[in-house]
Amino acid sequence: MWLLRFFSSSIGKKILMAVTGLLLLLFLVAHAVGNAAIFFGSSAFQAYADALHSLPVVVFVFGLGLLVVFLVHITIGIQLFLQNRKTGAARYAVTTRVVKNTFASSTMPYTGLLILLFVVIHVFGFGVNPSGVEVSTLVKDLLGNFFYGLFYLFSFCVLAVHLSHGFWSMLQTLGFNHPRYNDGIAKLTYIVPGFFLVFFGTIVLYFMTGIGAAY
Amino acid sequence: MSTIDLTLQIWRQKNSDALGQLENYTLEKISTDMSFLEMLDVLNEKLTLEGKDPVAFDHDCREGICGMCGAVVNGVAHGPEKETTLCQLHMRHFKTGDTLVIEPFRSRAFPVRKDLVVDRSAMDKIIQAGGYVSVNTGGAPDGNSIPISSHLAELAMDAAACIGCGACVAGCPNGAAMLFTSAKISQLCLLPQGHAERKQRALSMVETMDKEGFGNCTNLRECEAVCPKNISIRNIARLNREFVKATLSEG
Amino acid sequence: MELNAHIPSGPLAEKWDNHKFSSKLVNPANRRKFKLIVVGTGLAGASAAATLAEQGYKVHAFCIHDSPRRAHSIAAQGGINAAKNYQTDGDSVFRLFYDTIKGGDFRAREANVYRLAQVSNNIIDQCVAQGVPFAREYGGSLANRSFGGAQVSRTFYARGQTGQQLLLGAYSALSRQIHSGGVTMFNRREMMDLVVIDGRARGIITRNLITGNLESHWADAVLLCTGGYGNAYFLSTNAMASNVTAAWRAYKHGAGFANPSFVQIHPTCIPVHGDYQSKLTLMSESLRNDGRVWVPKNTGDKRPPADIPENERDYYLENKYPSFGNLVPRDVASRNAKEQCDQGKGVGSTGLAVYLDFADAIKRDGQSTILRKYGNLFQMYEKITDSSPLKEPMMIFPAVHYTMGGLWVDYNLMTTIPGLFALGECNFSDHGANRLGASALMQGLADGYFVIPTAVAAYLGESSLSQVSDSASPFTDAQQKVGQRLQKILRNSSGSATGKVTVDDIHKELGRLLWDNCGMARNKQDLESALQKLPEIRQKFWDKVYVPGSGSELNQSLERAGRVADFLEFGEIMIHDALRREESCGCHLREESQTEENEAKRDDANYSHVSVWEYKGDGVEPEMHKEELSFEYVTPSQRSYK
Ligand SMILES: Cc1cc2nc3c(=O)[nH]c(=O)nc-3n(C[C@H](O)[C@H](O)[C@H](O)COP(=O)(O)OP(=O)(O)OC[C@H]3O[C@@H](n4cnc5c(N)ncnc54)[C@H](O)[C@@H]3O)c2cc1C
Ligand code: HEM
Ligand code: HEM
Ligand code: SF4
Ligand code: F3S
Ligand code: FES
Repeated sequence: MWLLRFFSSSIGKKILMAVTGLLLLLFLVAHAVGNAAIFFGSSAFQAYADALHSLPVVVFVFGLGLLVVFLVHITIGIQLFLQNRKTGAARYAVTTRVVKNTFASSTMPYTGLLILLFVVIHVFGFGVNPSGVEVSTLVKDLLGNFFYGLFYLFSFCVLAVHLSHGFWSMLQTLGFNHPRYNDGIAKLTYIVPGFFLVFFGTIVLYFMTGIGAAY
Repeated sequence: MSTIDLTLQIWRQKNSDALGQLENYTLEKISTDMSFLEMLDVLNEKLTLEGKDPVAFDHDCREGICGMCGAVVNGVAHGPEKETTLCQLHMRHFKTGDTLVIEPFRSRAFPVRKDLVVDRSAMDKIIQAGGYVSVNTGGAPDGNSIPISSHLAELAMDAAACIGCGACVAGCPNGAAMLFTSAKISQLCLLPQGHAERKQRALSMVETMDKEGFGNCTNLRECEAVCPKNISIRNIARLNREFVKATLSEG
Repeated sequence: MELNAHIPSGPLAEKWDNHKFSSKLVNPANRRKFKLIVVGTGLAGASAAATLAEQGYKVHAFCIHDSPRRAHSIAAQGGINAAKNYQTDGDSVFRLFYDTIKGGDFRAREANVYRLAQVSNNIIDQCVAQGVPFAREYGGSLANRSFGGAQVSRTFYARGQTGQQLLLGAYSALSRQIHSGGVTMFNRREMMDLVVIDGRARGIITRNLITGNLESHWADAVLLCTGGYGNAYFLSTNAMASNVTAAWRAYKHGAGFANPSFVQIHPTCIPVHGDYQSKLTLMSESLRNDGRVWVPKNTGDKRPPADIPENERDYYLENKYPSFGNLVPRDVASRNAKEQCDQGKGVGSTGLAVYLDFADAIKRDGQSTILRKYGNLFQMYEKITDSSPLKEPMMIFPAVHYTMGGLWVDYNLMTTIPGLFALGECNFSDHGANRLGASALMQGLADGYFVIPTAVAAYLGESSLSQVSDSASPFTDAQQKVGQRLQKILRNSSGSATGKVTVDDIHKELGRLLWDNCGMARNKQDLESALQKLPEIRQKFWDKVYVPGSGSELNQSLERAGRVADFLEFGEIMIHDALRREESCGCHLREESQTEENEAKRDDANYSHVSVWEYKGDGVEPEMHKEELSFEYVTPSQRSYK
């Protein structure tokens, strides 16, 4: 069937990688917007959370969709990594990368997995919320914890690195490459990850530093 | 005329089945005006007169156009100079005391035949799968019957400049042949003559590319960096578009 | 040896059509029963193999390289001529025909050259249809440039890579046929011998360059598209693998070899810079449109060019040929460069170079204009010589470039061996004694796309061919002979290499001999002494050459040795030919035959003929036959570029 053939082809996988990457990116945007409520005080944030959960179906569907996207992105990412290790890696006695700063691009699978780790911890910390504790206090308590916060900051950096190749790479894969726009894209490749790093970072610092103590 | 002394570590392998290893050689008084291949000629003359087996390496035009030559020098396909084939690389870019590690272009799709000689016929197979316009000889319309803007013609020429050397494959950490394939696809999908078959072409060339054992592209850009003809990965983006369009309508 | 050119009857303009109509055909259903062998996949070979397969014949194609796309044609830079007259500057089929005949100094066949001019237009259409990205005007129509001093703009080009793009076009057509099974491609095979049965060419023996295995291939007809023999001189602009072996084997089986001494020497090449030099690089002729050629007035003036004042420079081409100046034809430019260097005015470390100066052009048009025209050439030059033509004058020197001589063929491109055809540079071609720029690509593709199909059909249609098997004796014997010859080459290799010489040593020695005595200017005395020396070099080869390794593996030394062995034999008819032609014509200058202003002097009374050499056995003098040339539609005139 043509769809299967497409996804089993090398380019099909790339496209899938890019599309899921894009969706995850969009999720981050939405997530950032939602979390922005934090800055408007605990009640505002709590209101948002409650509003969200007053629509369990939406949450469920959304969460499920997100899960699928993650799984696809991860499985293909890892599959590509393993395949390419067969065709590529360790072929030469001396290997030199000609392209400058290849750190992000050559560590995609690793940064990805770290992100995975973060997400799991993060979701069990916040998402699935057994005790009746209000999310707003939950956030405050958890992020108030120094090491927990530190881990968050670290993870966001990893995410930024992942995206610093991922964002451009996604556009290239989806066929956006034109001399007229390439400079702009090159800038965005730093702005986008930078934004998430700063935005989410401030939230964490907000609580870590105790500024949000009165929250 | 200045000269330099070098240490060479060259991959020696008797044939496809044999195991190979790097062997050391030293060369004195190499003129800096020599090309890299002429330096290897000198080594081979020396080895021959010592009754040793000279180093086998591919070459023909020695003008950077036939795509026959190529080796990985200190980890870089075609050596350190940008936009330069091995035959056009000159020894003035090295200095006395340098050690040059010379290995064949490697890829799962490029079996080593001997020393630095590899078999790149997998690339021919990709072209055979559709890298052409299906016109028979004769009965072609007048050359000027379809106007083509010089801008398009130039873009097509940029892609058509590919010499099929395989450095992109050798240089790609994944051993992908995307740059080579995308160059031909681009040339033919930019020109009106290639439009009729563009979908089938994209599908079957990519299918063959995968079948021949080349790796996946993860946008690492090394290919573009080592390509002696400066083929841009913009062509890869174009190939991706072609492939998606083709799949959605004809896949 | 009977030399019947089989020129069709009728007026010049109708000969080709008449011929196509009167020639026998093979009906489509029967074509697949015929197997054709194509050796060499340059423009001629690739286009022929593709076209014949399209028509339904079973084609087996052979190339030395790992891919048919690498053939020597790929290196052609300047462009390809056609009589399209898109520029409406007065071009026409007849003018292209006339220019080509005149450029060849009236030593080519009218009928062939006219046909070449006729099909030139179809070639452009064909290539455009294949997706060859020719240069275009802004309006979208095909662009032309004037090339090699032609008075009209009829040269089509794709940047400086015309040959590459045309070959890749033919290669793509070939690839399509390989895919559909019409062509079976044999890469990394070298044709070692021709197999002739009952006087007809019926197959070839090849060596698998990877395994060393000798293989037999039968066929109903054999097409040699194996290019020129310029590498006989060791240093030339030809690709390293270009050689005379295939043509020479054919010669030894009775194919006539025509005008072997007609060798074109290109004036604008990068000078030799050391004895390790392996090949010479051509700088496009177009450079002479803006560059001024000069040498110091005083012999042995070793000052850097910048320090040589204007009045101590000799712009010898401009002074000698006021009307054409730096744009005189290739042979004239080359000869004059040699003259200057012989007088000790040569520049550079070796004294074997002249200046090509762009200073004035840059002053006149500005650097940017000059760079737009020649930027890529300047880059290439700087890459190789490490000096920038913008800062100091280029240094150039003539180099062996193209061989007009080749296997004699009739109007049907068939050699004197029935069933053996020769296409492209491999045949003695339509270029007479000198080839015009941008006309070899034209000829290669004309032969392959448009002429050979008619010719092959005519041959197969009118001859009844017996069944042959490549496991039968003629093939096994031939294969054995080839094996013995390889063993003979390898025989010095048992034991140590001390006191031995390498293949390249011998090849360089042969090259020197030919360059000095059978190069740009030739005379009786030198040629005769060369005939004396040649056998000594040949003897040295067989006694002393050391070829490492064995015949049953990838062995590049052995490959080269085999080719050099043939060059060593071939050199002899080259010199004989130069000796026998006691006139000057085109590229062939006999110092004995010059006008008072020592320009080449033709002798139509005695030499208006093609010299065709016939093999008479090893150690026996070859016999020369003549194909008289008659000119009905043009009147031979003395070339003058004053
Ligand atoms: C640097 C350069 C620039 C040129 N520029 C121009 C130009 O601008 N315009 C123009 O019109 N012409 C030009 N020419 C001339 C033109 O390129 C050649 O004459 C033409 O390409 C010859 O094509 P061909 O198919 O006859 O032979 P080739 O292209 O030489 O192909 C013959 C092939 O057969 C192979 N072969 C030889 N012997 C054997 C064997 N025994 N077994 C198997 N294979 C064999 C050879 O390796 C070679 O690849 C140029 C030539 C050179 C060298
Ligand atoms: C959770 C575990 C994750 C893993 C294992 C992972 C792995 C990978 C890998 C290997 C690639 C490179 C594939 C390629 O370039 O073709 C990649 C690309 C990408 N990833 Fe992730 N990633 C993960 C999470 C994320 C997250 C959370 C995001 C979103 C914010 C993301 C965004 C992207 C993007 C945009 C790309 C570029 C797609 C492309 O190259 O075409 N990834 N990922
Ligand atoms: C400081 C920054 C962040 C804060 C304060 C935060 C907060 C939250 C909260 C409160 C929830 C629970 C939502 C709800 O169910 O009510 C949640 C869920 C989630 N977060 Fe975050 N988050 C942050 C950063 C991130 C990042 C960077 C990622 C991705 C890489 C991420 C991925 C997720 C996912 C996948 C879920 C579960 C999906 C869902 O239930 O909607 N979060 N986050
Ligand atoms: S794309 Fe560049 S590197 Fe790859 S084959 Fe073509 S010329 Fe060589
Ligand atoms: S280096 Fe390899 S990963 Fe893609 S961009 Fe080039 S093919
Ligand atoms: S030898 Fe032809 S490209 Fe290097």
